[in-house]
Amino acid sequence: MADHSHRMGAITRKTAVLAFGFVLLAALPGIAHLMDEPFLVSTFSRVLIYAMAAVSLDLILGYGGMVSFGHAAFFGVGAYVVGILAHHAAEGTTVLGLAGTNLAVVSWAAAVLVSAGVAAVIGALSLRTDGVHFIMITLAFAQMLFFLFVSLEPYGGDDGLMMMGRNDLFGIDLSDDMTFYYLCFIALMAFLLLTRRLVDSRFGMVIRGCKQNERRMRALGFPVYRYKLTAFVIAGAGAGLAGALSANHTEFVSPDFLHWTMSGDIMIIVILGGIGTLYGPVVGAVVFLMLEEFLPLAFDSVGLEGLKEHWRFLFGPILILVVLFARRGLFGLLAGREARDG
Amino acid sequence: MLLFLEQLLNGLQLGVFLFLVAAGLTLIFGIMGLINLAHGSLYMIGAFAAATVTNWTGSFLVGLLAALPITAAVGMAIEFVVMRRLYDRDHLDQVLATFGLILFFNELIAMIWGRPPLFMTVPDILNGTVEIIPGIPYPIYRVVIIGVGVLVALVLYGVIARTRVGMLIRAGSTHREMVGALGVNIRVLYTLLFGFGAIFAGLAGAMAGPLMSVQVGMGEGILILAFVVIVIGGIGSVRGALVGALLVGVVDTMGRAFLPTLLKTMLPPAEADGIGAGLSSMAIYLLMAVVLVWKPRGLFPAHG
Amino acid sequence: MADLILDVRHLHKAFGALAATDDLNLGVERGEVHALIGPNGAGKTTLIAQLAGELTPDDGTVTFDGRDITALPVHQRPHLGLARSFQITSVLMDFTSLDNVAMAVQARAGHSFRFWRRARAERALRVPAMDYLDRVGLGARAHVRVSALAHGERRQLELAMALALEPRLLLLDEPMAGMGPEETQRMVQVLKALKGEITMLLVEHDMDAVFALADRLTVLVYGKAIATGTPDAIRANPDVRRAYLGEEGGA
Repeated sequence: MADHSHRMGAITRKTAVLAFGFVLLAALPGIAHLMDEPFLVSTFSRVLIYAMAAVSLDLILGYGGMVSFGHAAFFGVGAYVVGILAHHAAEGTTVLGLAGTNLAVVSWAAAVLVSAGVAAVIGALSLRTDGVHFIMITLAFAQMLFFLFVSLEPYGGDDGLMMMGRNDLFGIDLSDDMTFYYLCFIALMAFLLLTRRLVDSRFGMVIRGCKQNERRMRALGFPVYRYKLTAFVIAGAGAGLAGALSANHTEFVSPDFLHWTMSGDIMIIVILGGIGTLYGPVVGAVVFLMLEEFLPLAFDSVGLEGLKEHWRFLFGPILILVVLFARRGLFGLLAGREARDG
Repeated sequence: MLLFLEQLLNGLQLGVFLFLVAAGLTLIFGIMGLINLAHGSLYMIGAFAAATVTNWTGSFLVGLLAALPITAAVGMAIEFVVMRRLYDRDHLDQVLATFGLILFFNELIAMIWGRPPLFMTVPDILNGTVEIIPGIPYPIYRVVIIGVGVLVALVLYGVIARTRVGMLIRAGSTHREMVGALGVNIRVLYTLLFGFGAIFAGLAGAMAGPLMSVQVGMGEGILILAFVVIVIGGIGSVRGALVGALLVGVVDTMGRAFLPTLLKTMLPPAEADGIGAGLSSMAIYLLMAVVLVWKPRGLFPAHG
Repeated sequence: MADLILDVRHLHKAFGALAATDDLNLGVERGEVHALIGPNGAGKTTLIAQLAGELTPDDGTVTFDGRDITALPVHQRPHLGLARSFQITSVLMDFTSLDNVAMAVQARAGHSFRFWRRARAERALRVPAMDYLDRVGLGARAHVRVSALAHGERRQLELAMALALEPRLLLLDEPMAGMGPEETQRMVQVLKALKGEITMLLVEHDMDAVFALADRLTVLVYGKAIATGTPDAIRANPDVRRAYLGEEGGA
């Protein structure tokens, strides 16, 4: 099918949807200012960050068939690495013999590496099993890290850790919301390009094969464990980078970054947008976070103040309906049959 | 030594709780192949029902007895509306849909009772202590909990050893076709079984009321612990759930009680406290990791 | 001594009290088509699973081309030249036929830790894959999703994937299972064309197909190999007639 659309080279519905989405996100700060809603820029920075975490989950969930329910762990670890390094830089102290830093290049690279390392350990253990075991185990290990950070009193424990400001990226002023938005935008686009190439590469074909029929892949001679673990680590690294960006966005990290509901939210974003599509999770992040932002206001304005705080009361059943009746996700609805990769 | 025995009892008591929650979860998975995240919600509903009825009537026993049919009814209702559509779906769908149920129930409870915790007191007759081990006055209520847990384990053992349903469970039959061999309406049977599993969760929640605060979200923590129990014990195995629950209960309680002290003999006090707290909260997960390396399918892997 | 590519000695595998493989000996000579026949429950599937590495024998050895592979993991066997097809069609349903065979070509082409180039644009994978599809007569269906293929076509695809591994020994687990007479005839033709080029161990129920293809046969009953020989010798063997063909004592 991919061969086919490639050969045609014509503008398909999918490319049209993608182009439209790209332009919309690229022009968003301008649109926000025209609408006189400048806070939307910061809100959408969050959307892009969540999208990145969701795309990284889609890589293993949608393409590798690994139902990881602990993806927030890597997001949170990435965020904490940035927070902890900034904390030590502010205090002038060291951690494990290393000085703290506010330099984005160092701090974010560390976040990616540490998240990847954590993913390697959790993945190596969890991938010894599959199915329901895998779901429960990834959830449990994420919960373990949650409790670990809760118990780390030097880094604020339950209350989390404030940062003095955003990291320093080659002297660019990241405290400006517009600048920060475009940083997130570039990071997400780069990550999408990377994952797009990845899922179509030889490596990507192997993990997609594993999702469809692992036994067959083994009989063809692929050591599937190694390939799945590698994908798991790459996804962990991507979530770690998203976490690093998130810490910079809020200038704050707390155990909530690793809470299991965060893992649930990331998974919902993937499903809502369309699993196994890479672009779907971006759509999912936009819709999910906009619902979170505006559903309470909508309830308020139609006189249902009672539901304002309890928007999830409605969202729960919506999620169930999506799962039962709309498995293609929003991107599938928008882009049609070619949305999903085989 | 006395302190050690006391903590051992505390560990057993936590283990009993976990067994009650994990048993329902693993039964439902074993028979219907369903992973039900909303099992923790049933635990929460049991606690709220018990607390409310107890506060109305002034009788803990009435509260406890009321909680059981209420959770069973809620359990059967969600089976009827949502779960039966999920039996043939993959685990991802089951996880997501039951996650949706959690969101729904958490907000529903918050809308009815609010976010601040409810409190339940232990009834007077159970409010004393008893020396089951000479030299250790131990709260009667906690002894009762351990007793209830043993009773439930025996009932379950009886059901599994002596009934036709139990026979099918032992045979590891997860297929609906095989349950059809019973010659009864499977749909009704599944609804009833689901209610049966829900009762355990409700019972655990109702009994937890006086010991922990009754509040929104209380079910999720215990749910994840129950997952650890099931992973250790082997999914679908009730015996595994019992052994796993007691292991997790004891390791967690002992870890919290003694690890910091133990570390103080080796490290400076401040560091020992920090590391001790971190390590003891991770202890059961490390236990799970060890079991995984040793036996990836758990201690008592169920067939099929 | 004959030149054995596969040498199975004293193989034993039990499930509880049931011995599914019972002191089994089997030798496959290089270049031959060796058929494995036996009534249902004779242990054919268990044997194939042990040869492919999915089950570990309790006892005994499996030697492939002079190397002891008794405990070798599944995924390493194809790289030595031991490939299999599955009794119940086992392919990648969301991919096209060409994708499936290209995956097999890719499996042979070194490691797959290559993250950038589009695999579907690699001629080194697609061109050979297309050749194998043509060989099994599925070339015209190369760009069709497997989920849209007919049962017989999937069986052909299964064979093409096994061939793409360029095996020196091919384990064929009931390649004609579930096929109609015409499809079976076509599959026999395809396998005949491969004869002499690839050594095959063929498990098959269709006796016409077996006698049309096999150079030698081994008869399996209750986990034991009770006889090995040419088709004519097997037909004439009284033990086989008694145990397998169900003829009560002709003598």
